[in-house]
This record gives sequence, structure tokens and C-alpha cells, in this order.
Amino acid sequence: MTSPIPPAPDSSLVVARELSKTYGSGNAAVHALRGVNLDLPKGELVVLLGASGSGKSTLLNLIGGLDNPTGGSLHYRGWNVAQADEAGLTAYRRDVVGFVFQFYNLIASLTARENIGLITEVSRDPMSTDDALALVDLTNRANHFPAQLSGGEQQRVAIARAIAKRPELLLCDEPTGALDVKTGVLVLEAIQRINREIGTLTVVITHNAILAEMADRVFTMSDGRLELAKVNANPRPVGELAW
Amino acid sequence: MELLDLKLLRDLKALKSQAFAVALVMACGLAMMIMTRSLIRSLDQARDGYYEKHRFAEVFAGLKRAPDSTREKLAAIPGVAAVETGVEVSVTLDLPDLLEPASGLINAVPDRRPTILNKLYLRRGNLLEGSSRLEVLVSEAFAEANALNPGDPIAAILNGRRLELRIAGIVLAPQYVFEARPGSALPDNKTFGIFWMREQELAEAFNLEGAFNTLALSLAPGASEPEVIAEVDRILEPYGGLGAYGRSEHPSNIRVDDEIRVLDGLSFGFPLVFLSVAAFMTHSVMSRQIALQREQIAILKAFGFANRTIAWHYIKFALLIVIVGTSLGTLGGFIFGLKLVDMYHLFFRFPRLEFVPATGAIIGALIASSAAALIGVAGAVLKVVKLSPAEAMRPEPPASFRPAIAERLGFSKWLTVSLRMALRNVERKPWQAIFTTVALAMATGILIIPNAFRDGVRHILDFQWDVVQRQTVTVSLVEPGPMRAAHDFSQLPGVVLAEPFRTVPIEMVSGQRSRRLALHGIVKDADLNRVMGQDNLPLQLEQSGLIISEALGDSLEVRPGDLVTINVLQGKRRSITIPIGGFSQDFAGIASFMELHALNRLLGEGDRITGAFISVAGGQWEAFLRELKETPQASGVVIKNAMRQSFRKTTAESIGLIQVIYSSFATIVAFGIVYNSARIALSERARELATLRVLGFSQGDVGSILVGELVVLAAIALPLGLWIGSGMASLLIQSINTETVRLPLVLSASNYAYATLVITLATAISALIACRKLNQLDLVGALKATE
Repeated sequence: MTSPIPPAPDSSLVVARELSKTYGSGNAAVHALRGVNLDLPKGELVVLLGASGSGKSTLLNLIGGLDNPTGGSLHYRGWNVAQADEAGLTAYRRDVVGFVFQFYNLIASLTARENIGLITEVSRDPMSTDDALALVDLTNRANHFPAQLSGGEQQRVAIARAIAKRPELLLCDEPTGALDVKTGVLVLEAIQRINREIGTLTVVITHNAILAEMADRVFTMSDGRLELAKVNANPRPVGELAW
Repeated sequence: MELLDLKLLRDLKALKSQAFAVALVMACGLAMMIMTRSLIRSLDQARDGYYEKHRFAEVFAGLKRAPDSTREKLAAIPGVAAVETGVEVSVTLDLPDLLEPASGLINAVPDRRPTILNKLYLRRGNLLEGSSRLEVLVSEAFAEANALNPGDPIAAILNGRRLELRIAGIVLAPQYVFEARPGSALPDNKTFGIFWMREQELAEAFNLEGAFNTLALSLAPGASEPEVIAEVDRILEPYGGLGAYGRSEHPSNIRVDDEIRVLDGLSFGFPLVFLSVAAFMTHSVMSRQIALQREQIAILKAFGFANRTIAWHYIKFALLIVIVGTSLGTLGGFIFGLKLVDMYHLFFRFPRLEFVPATGAIIGALIASSAAALIGVAGAVLKVVKLSPAEAMRPEPPASFRPAIAERLGFSKWLTVSLRMALRNVERKPWQAIFTTVALAMATGILIIPNAFRDGVRHILDFQWDVVQRQTVTVSLVEPGPMRAAHDFSQLPGVVLAEPFRTVPIEMVSGQRSRRLALHGIVKDADLNRVMGQDNLPLQLEQSGLIISEALGDSLEVRPGDLVTINVLQGKRRSITIPIGGFSQDFAGIASFMELHALNRLLGEGDRITGAFISVAGGQWEAFLRELKETPQASGVVIKNAMRQSFRKTTAESIGLIQVIYSSFATIVAFGIVYNSARIALSERARELATLRVLGFSQGDVGSILVGELVVLAAIALPLGLWIGSGMASLLIQSINTETVRLPLVLSASNYAYATLVITLATAISALIACRKLNQLDLVGALKATE
């Protein structure tokens, strides 16, 4: 399948202007996003902090092409994500975006290797399954089924699955939300390593403020509005964070 | 209403299409059960009431001619309660609107005494009251087919004399509930009827004054029918007795009994299959529902709801489906039952044939479907009871999988990922896969049966009318006549060929077994009416050989080469013991054949015939019929095409109706099963499929993963179903085959193709619906759900 997304000049990968999303209408209307402006340059690790219900998942879903905004614009390399049709969004998710979910969402009937293979089969320029597993340090668990892996291992397989297609954009929704601290650290280390080694623009959403230290830039969200909270000149390695 | 019940109703609403699919499958089985049981009751009641009120006799006999004084001897037989003697003769009719001659039987209505047995039921007009002569009563079936009414004139040829008669009334009689030409399996009400005249007039016309030629007896309580029959035979022998028989051999009664027996068989097998399928569907729907409501169940338990209460909650869910299914089934059973009762009116003539709902069957249906639902829901409910609240609050761990057998055997290279997923899924839940496959196979099989039935009937008739009977018309003589009668027929306009035949009533005996039937004498190298062998090729009748149908061979327990004794029940009543030369094709039940001259030698009455098979050239058909109508010695005329048309109008239509009902039910079941399986697969895999969509798989990719498993199961179920269906059809046909009708098992390619088409369509449409639901899936919502 050829991608409908044209290449664009190398500036900000993702640009959002006055982006809004409203669920429902009338008295029951919920304004999840109220005019968000956002520029995400290539290669950064961005942390998006906010309480639950602040609108951070909504923003991530719009950036990831899972949902259409109700107002404003959203461009990826100049390509209008907000106006894309179903086929366009599918191609965008397949070629551009890597997703990591809170509950891993692995296919239970496929082994770690096959879960990754499933994605690399439909990608344009994937890395090998073994390389992807090596990046998350799970080479020795390649032939295990999800039920045979711990939560942290499952999440690392999910990360390997997300990055195996070499996405330009890695979106992680509460990647450590279901994990204990120790396991969570392993997962975050994997995310940070991949961001540095491959240069994937990575967005991590979390309500854990400690993660702000590992990011290049930190945004906070509340009540559907976004603010730039901090720019780290020297992000700290995950291992050095105070838990 | 309790809040838990409110939850129940809302849950049911959310699951409405699946619950409805289960209820519909249940309803199909129950409708069939209630329909057939109600028809049995309707026929039973109509028959019993009619037989009792109109005093249907219990022993019957035909004879040549006996003086009225014989009555006293017959009445004196121990065990005989009442004696009715009568006169019955053949008649040819001339109906102005009918090109061909019609024929029938005329019975006598006693003048000087009331009728004791087989009393008439008057539908319209009067029962030959008053003193006017030349009046006749007409059977309802014939009157309806020819639009005859009281007061209409009708011309009849009685014993060679043409009489202008007037119709006094339209009647029914208990011995003619099923009204067909003697020896014919199919009714032909347009050209064959039953009539009644005053005894005096009839006896005069046939020189039977002071004599009778039919006998009917009723028995005292506790009397032995075989002993009475033996005594009757002994008394009537000198008067040309043709052998007495009981109700179980009475041609009209046999047909009613056969019909009830067939319904009885259908009322059990089909519903059982349908209800088993419904039980399986209930199980899969409820298991899924309970898996989805794990957390709700945990919360209810944590808040102190007893296991009993929660279990009952889910049982009620299943019982609500039962209530809907039983209501729909009862409604369907009544509607189709009413339609079929109307149809039975074409075949069976009762004074009243009303639809009698089988209330017992409705209660039985309720119990059976409740049992099916409870069996279905039991396993799922047991899971609820075992679930500990703390465990249930946690999301279910990922299901454990392992490589499929095919992969462990080293075939993984050839398996695509989606196929691997399907195979592993099947292996993890083998019972679900097996049940789905078996249920689908059942649905395929059920589709085979009605069409096998239709094809069997069609095959017999095509065989009978195209291969065996190549004559245009069969003409029988008033009484045995000389060979030149056939020659006279060949002189009629348009006649291409006329082949004489002779039919004589005989008793065939082998050891302790005996049968009364007609022995047909047919010319040696017959071109028209042929005797076909079991290889479907014409048999050569040898000079001395006897050919019998296999049905008769089975009945007498004899094979070709064995000796049988033939006792002729007419004329010189000779006996002969000869070997059986071979078996003939036996679709028409018991039958026996000999070469014409050999038969005549056996009878010792010279070269005589009872009729001729005639083939007539198309162009001169009307001229032939006109002349035939004027030929006094022709008493019975059977026109093949008229028979065929009448069959198409009546029997074919009714078989068609039954076939449509059964096919529709089978189709509903097929759709129900496939749709339900697809919906459950969608529900179980929604999260997985949503994940794949988010990861960049297209709707088509994900859809193919969803339906892949279904397609695999359907592909296994199809051949299995065709095989099961063939077996079920064979069993059913064997179970309803009687001595008079032997339906062959015909499994045509079109039958298989139809079943395959329906299942394929059901699979495709269900898959499409599931895929549409999949496309409507809220990706974000499905990802968040944690099961």
C-alpha cells in the first residue's frame, strides 16, 4: 500500500493549532480539549502530565489518529491529520505512529516474537524482530506467549512491537500505570533508550510528576488546556530519578 | 421490580439480537413440535369422532355375489356385533365439461332398512328421500373437483346402459376418508368419484336383486378379529369371496394412519435437533455474558448478594429467552398447523377437520426448551458461583495459548499469522469449536432432509410416469372380456398401440405368511406398461415366471428362486405353486406380475383381458376421448397426464408447503448459529482487534482475522453436515416408508448445492454483520476495557 502522506520539510513533526474536542452536545457537552496549540520537533522525548480527566489521553488519541478533532487543525509534516479519512488514518497509524498502551494489549494467542512480527509484516521499513526484542532486552523470551510473561515483560514486548516499524512518532499512554515501580523503571529505561538511539519523537502521558525529569520538554494539562511547564536542557536518565 | 431484574432487562436489551437468534432457533424446533402434535390431535379427533358417530366397520370383504340369506350366517359368527351388506359396482360417467370419461364406484343405499354401518354424512341436499327415481349421491371430493351441486344432472353408464341421473346430495362416508381409485396411491378426484344409489335401482341394473357383493362387520367387545376374518372367508368362499380384512388393511384407513405415523416421527426428531442447537447457543451467549460481567458479579458478591441470587439472576436471563422462544414457537406452530389442516382437507375428507391445538405439546415444549436452556446455562452459572469476589475484581489474566498441533508438527512455515491465531484459538477452546462445528453441520444436515424428501417423491413419479408407464391412457373393462377387446380399442382414432392386460385378485402364500394383492398379467415384450427390474431396466417376462416387488418379497420373506403358492380369488379359484423369477423395482410397494398368457393358463378361462394400455397420437386426442366416452365396455379410464396434473395441484403443492416450512426453519437455524458465533467471536476479541486497528491494520485485515476462524469452522462443518444430512434423510425416509409407499433415497447435487449455498450465505452475511459491527467499534473505548 502506498502512503498518502507526503514528506515535509524537516521542522516540527506535529503541529496543532486551536485544537479542540467536544463530546456530546448541549447541556451534556464535555469539552475535553479547549484550543490546544502544540509544536513537537523531531527526536524529542515529551512528557505530558495531568490528572485523570484533564484531556491528555484525548490529545494523544488525536495525535495518534484514533479520533477526529471537533475544531482547530492538526498537521503531521504538513499533512492534515484532522481532515484525513479512515484509509488515510489507517495508513498514518501503520506507517508513522507507534502505540504503547497502559494494559499492553498484546495478542494473547501470539508469542512475543509473533506479536512483533505481525506489525513488521505490514510495515514499509521495519527492523528485524530480533533487533526489536534486543532493544527491550527480551531476546530470551521471544517464544513466550503473553500469559507466560510478567507485566513488565509484556509491556516491553509492547514497546518492541511499537518501535519495530521505526515509527517517527511513539505515543505511550500511561505505560507504567499497571506496573510496580521496579518494573516500571525497566520499561521507562527502554523508552528512553529507544528515543536516544533511534531518535523517535516520543510522547509519554502520565500522572506521575517524577517522570518530568526524563523529558526534553514537559507539558501539563488541566481542564482541556495545555501549558509548557518546563524545558530540560539535560534530561536525566530514568535510573537516576528519585522514586 | 427489583433493581437486579431491571439490570436483567437492560442486559437483555443490549444483547437483543443474539438473544433473539437463540429464541428463534428454539421457536423453530417448538413450532415444528407443536404443529405436528396438533395435527396428530386434529386428525386423531376428527377420525375417532367420525368413525364412532358414523359407525365405521371393523372387518370388510368383497365378493362376487351372495344371497341376502347369507347375512344371517355372518351375523351368527361369534364376536360379530353388526352386519352391513351392500352392492358396489363400477360406473362410467359422462360429464359435459369433462373431455375424458370419468369413472367411479356406486354403492347401494338400503331402501327398506336403515344403514347400520359406514353411515353417510350429508353435506348438502338430501339423502335420497322421497320416491323420485334415478337420483344419486356424490362424494364431496368428486363434486368439488367437478363443481357439481344438488339438482345437477349427471349421465352414467351402468352395466352398459346409459342413465340420466340427478344429484340429490353431496355426502361423505367413513370408508372413503381418503378417496382414490382402488390400487392407486394418489387421489384423482376429477376423474374418479364415489356415488350412492337406491339399492333397488342399483340391484336391478346389475341383476343383483336379493344379493350383495360387499360386506362390512363390526365386532363385539373382546372379539378376535383374525377368527372372525377366517370364519367370514369360509362362509363367503362359495360366493366368490375376495378375502376379508380388518381396518389395518383398509385402504382409506391405512392412509390416515400412515399420515399420523409420519407426523409422529417428525414431531420428535426435528425438534430434538433444534433444541440441542438452542441449548448450545444459550451456553455460548451466557458464558460470554458472564465473562463480560465478571466485575459486576464480583461487586454484587462483595456487597453481600448470595450465590443463589446471582445464579438465579442469570438463569432468569435464559428463561426469558425460553419464554420468547416458546411464545414464538407456539404462534408458529398454530399458524403452520392451521395452514396444513387446510391442506389436509385436499386429501382427507372428514365432516369436520378442525385444528386442535395440542396443549400438552405446548407444556412439553416449555419443559423441553427450559431444559435445553438450563443445560445450556448450567456451566456458565457454575462459574459464577465458583468465582471469588477478590479474584473477580482483578482483570482476567491473558488467556494462555500454545502453538497449535500443526505448528508442533513443523508446518508453521506455511501458516499465516491470522491462521495461526485461528488454530490456536480453536485448540484452546476445543469444545466451543466442536460444538459450533457440530451445530453448523446440523443446520446443513437439516437443510438436506426436506429436499431429499421432495427429490424422492419426484423420482418415483418420474420413474413411474416416464419409465414404467409409457401409455397415454389405461382403460379397464367392466368385466373380463375377450382378447379382441384390445383390438377394438386399437381401432379408436389416434391409437398407436394398445397392449392388453389382465388383473386378478390373488392370495400369495409362503409358509405361514400370506398377502392378498392383485396379480398383473402383461404381454411379453411390453412397450407401454413395463415391469422394471432393480437395475431400472425392463424385465423380460418368461412364459411361466412370476415377478414380485422386493417389498412383497420382504413381506413374505422369500427371495428369487423360492416357491410360493398363488390362490386365485376369482372364477375357478385355482391354486398353483411356482418359483419366484425375480424382483422388480418396488417404489409402488407390493406388486406381482406374470406374462399374460401364462396367467390366463393359470386361470383356465381362456384368453381374457381386463383392460388395455393405450398410446394415443397427440393430434387425435380429443377424437379418441369422444369415442372412448361412447364405448360402453370401458369402465375405468386413467389418463396419465391428468393424473400428473392433479398430482401437481394437490400432493406436489402440499409437499411443497411442508418443504418450504422445513427449509425455512433450517435456514433460520443456520443463520442463527453462524450469526451467534460471529457475534461471540467479535465480543471475545474486540479488544485484540481494536489494538490491531490502532496499530495500523485496515478494516479488511482485521475483519479477515475475525471471520477466519468462522470460515475454517464452516469449511469443516459443510462436508460433515452434508454427510450427517444424508444419514438423517436416509433414517427418516426408512422410518416413514410403508408397504404401500417406498420412497427411494435420492440425494441430488442440487440438494447439496442448496444446503451449501444457504450455509455459505449465512456465513457470509453473518460475517458481514460482524465486520460492520467491528468497523463501528469505538477504538479508544475498546482499548481501555480491561476484561
